[in-house]
Amino acid sequence: MSRTDTLKSLEVVLESFLERAVSLKSGRLDVLDGINRLDDIARLKSEPGPFPQPDLSDRIGEWFAQHSGWMEDTTLRPSDRNRIGQILGGIRQELNGLGQSTPSTEKIQTEIARWQSLMTPASSQSRPTAGRKIVLRKGPESLDEAGVHPSNQDSIGLFAESLKTMAGLFADFSRDRLHLMSILDDSLKTASLKKSREALLLSASIIYYLKQNGYMVEPFVKRLKEAEQLQKRSRAGA
Amino acid sequence: MLNPAEKAYLQALQALREKQYGQAAGYFDRAVEFFGNNREFSLLRETTNLLLEVKKTIAAAEGRNDDVSIAEEII
Repeated sequence: MSRTDTLKSLEVVLESFLERAVSLKSGRLDVLDGINRLDDIARLKSEPGPFPQPDLSDRIGEWFAQHSGWMEDTTLRPSDRNRIGQILGGIRQELNGLGQSTPSTEKIQTEIARWQSLMTPASSQSRPTAGRKIVLRKGPESLDEAGVHPSNQDSIGLFAESLKTMAGLFADFSRDRLHLMSILDDSLKTASLKKSREALLLSASIIYYLKQNGYMVEPFVKRLKEAEQLQKRSRAGA
Repeated sequence: MLNPAEKAYLQALQALREKQYGQAAGYFDRAVEFFGNNREFSLLRETTNLLLEVKKTIAAAEGRNDDVSIAEEII
């Protein structure tokens, strides 16, 4: 077998691997593609100018029609439902802010409300305030200074897990302590000595809380940065 | 809202599904800052890059083969 033949065999193997890998993710790909398209609709709508209302109605209506199956089946993960609910909430708020009521926008509003009620728990649904338009825009995400990446798999779930761990640490540190600063001290020590990421996050949270309440936090900020650098170096050396 | 890296990863997977490996590699590059630590992402990205290299080498080798055969005839 010549070198070229060997390379061609390798080419077939690699293509086959990629094909199978993508095929395994086919279901997720369809879901993410749907969410991505809804996200695109929301972004286009947020920008002023060339997109007239009928076009928006058509696009959202088309999206609803194509994904009506999602309302009944179990294709979506809780994090997907949250995302869809949030995007729809943003669209709904902005439509409210426009202050123009036409049969088509009313139809969209009704459909969005129906989807939102199925996608998000009642307690977390957005409540638009009359006459006030609030738009949250998220900038591009990047690595933070500690080199921490949110996961692509389920950032909401992972953050919830992180919060739980932080709550556990806080409960441990707060035993026999009389002041939040003592807890912060313990938390910073754990972040530095044990390289605990959750202890670092907990420390940052406590520092911010103390700052909001008028405490001088500079020495703690310095220690936080040192702990962060230690963890960063530790990860780089791992 | 999806961030640009999430969109890029999704587009990379869609490009792989369509066997557009060059496009996929470009999208993977755009998503690497956000997903660089994700093992599945890295595996797919590296495999795609390797496949592109293999394809490039095959193309070059097939071109070189012609040259070699001509050289052999001359010799």
